[in-house]
Amino acid sequence: MSGKTIIEKILSAHSGEDAWAGDRVWAELDLAVVRDFGGPNVVLEYEKQLDDKPVWDPQKIAMTFDYQAPAKVVQVANNQRICREFAEKHGIPHVFDVNAGIGQHVLLEHGMVLPGSVIIGTDSHMNLLGAVGSFSTGMGTTDVAAGWATGRLWFRVPETIKVTFKGEYRYPASAKDLTLFLLSRVDMTKTIYKSLEFYGQPIDSLTPAGRLTLASMVTEMEGKIGFIIPDKALLAWIGQRAGRTVEAVVPDRDASYWAEWEYDLSGLEPLIACPDRPDNVKPVREVVGTHVDEVFIGSCTNGRLEDLRVAAEVLERMGGKIAPHVRLVVTPATTEVAMEALGAGLYETFVRAGAMVTNQGCSLCTIGHHGVLAEGDVLVSTGNRNFRGKLGKGSAAYLASPAVAAATAVKGEIALPE
Amino acid sequence: MSEKFVFTGHAWVVGDDIDTDMIYHGSYLPLTDPQEMAKHALEYVPGMEDFTEKVQPGDILVAGKNFGCGSSREHAVITLQYNGVGAVLAESFSRIFYRNAVNLGFPILEVPEITQAVETGDRLEVDANTGRIRNLTKGSELQGHPLSGLEKEIMTAGGLFGYLKQELEAKE
Repeated sequence: MSGKTIIEKILSAHSGEDAWAGDRVWAELDLAVVRDFGGPNVVLEYEKQLDDKPVWDPQKIAMTFDYQAPAKVVQVANNQRICREFAEKHGIPHVFDVNAGIGQHVLLEHGMVLPGSVIIGTDSHMNLLGAVGSFSTGMGTTDVAAGWATGRLWFRVPETIKVTFKGEYRYPASAKDLTLFLLSRVDMTKTIYKSLEFYGQPIDSLTPAGRLTLASMVTEMEGKIGFIIPDKALLAWIGQRAGRTVEAVVPDRDASYWAEWEYDLSGLEPLIACPDRPDNVKPVREVVGTHVDEVFIGSCTNGRLEDLRVAAEVLERMGGKIAPHVRLVVTPATTEVAMEALGAGLYETFVRAGAMVTNQGCSLCTIGHHGVLAEGDVLVSTGNRNFRGKLGKGSAAYLASPAVAAATAVKGEIALPE
Repeated sequence: MSEKFVFTGHAWVVGDDIDTDMIYHGSYLPLTDPQEMAKHALEYVPGMEDFTEKVQPGDILVAGKNFGCGSSREHAVITLQYNGVGAVLAESFSRIFYRNAVNLGFPILEVPEITQAVETGDRLEVDANTGRIRNLTKGSELQGHPLSGLEKEIMTAGGLFGYLKQELEAKE
């Protein structure tokens, strides 16, 4: 008998069953989250199905408003109100309103995400929390409404692919380039619904922000979740936030993997995902000089302090001013990141350079706010999706690291950092 | 299993990697009324701009690989449901779309190489129980992978809430 992978361990622990890949289990939820998109739909579905019935556990429900923060159209304002009123009525204390920032990051900072937990939410990038070893996954309205009612949901236990990296890379290559490299290499007919486990020296060396970057784009790889086992420093950080000791879930040594893939990152260079697919990845040098109208630095993939810091450093080093025709939008992920960036003087660098620094949230990435594109516009974004017309009908988007995005803003065309 | 799992309709064929922004664009996420959501189905799929005008109840959407990739938005299923689409037959589905469809009791079927065998306008007969598809226009047959196990039970109950209510009643 072989041992269990991380996902098999987590779903066994949460279902009380001996869960193996391919099994269907009903698992207990640790947290069920809605945003201001999806959230009102969940509330309406819940009330349609269950009327006034109390929710399963108000402490284990959270609301995070990051889609359009603050609301710019009445419909969204109404939606946010629907959520707030439901929270009030059901005594749900964890409402992170429009001033809080991107949901998953906010929950993480508030110690509500523990390694080994099972979390669902109305955001397809919930699984970025795999960066701290949590099984978090995006779900639709019906799932979350059922989760609020019962505290449990069905899962098909995913098979696991063990992904091991080796080799060393240096700046300007970054965690985003590692992520885009993997996106360009994986066969997505094989990664659909799989759990990925990431190993190797390059993973051990990743900062927490870099881990979030990689885990967030497992969605674009069609994976269910990507786990990085938290190291001691990260466990201590989570434990301090959560006010308790936390442990990592590790796979059994004889765990059985569906596949084991190895990648060598030696000589990794800055990469860029070209329109209209996140896996349409090329070396930046092959598209250098492409005209750009707008640059976005932020998102759940690259909106942490270190992302903003790298971007600010590149701006300074390359003369401190963006090209006159370029619009640069910078969005910190959360209030905490915004405060840190303020303290570090990054806002001054950005504003002096000609950037618009927005309040924390999803900003441009959800087309909720800030800098929607014109027809024919070209965007370079540090986000995670560049589907056709996602950020404005008739526009095109490239995805790259904060360093490449900042260099591009300075040059007004796709550029490598100097 | 109920009658609604055997049906006929005309096909609308789309390609690979039809993402959720193409099925239902992010700018319409604030909508909560399914009838309103229905007005924006497939709006960003090239060549399908007239879909919501011309679609007939029971029509069948045929797609290539990775249908519904991208967002967790259930709107992407609802917008098809409320246009009267009878089913989606795809070479493969993205995981969240697949799950949302099951939870809403909306018939989906994985059918290898279906985009090679069906053209827009072909009349199809689909048996979601057995996975057998007959192309009545071309006189050909295809075999898909029908749902099984828990997914089939949820689908048969009309969706997740239907299933949970059945479970509750069984306990009482």
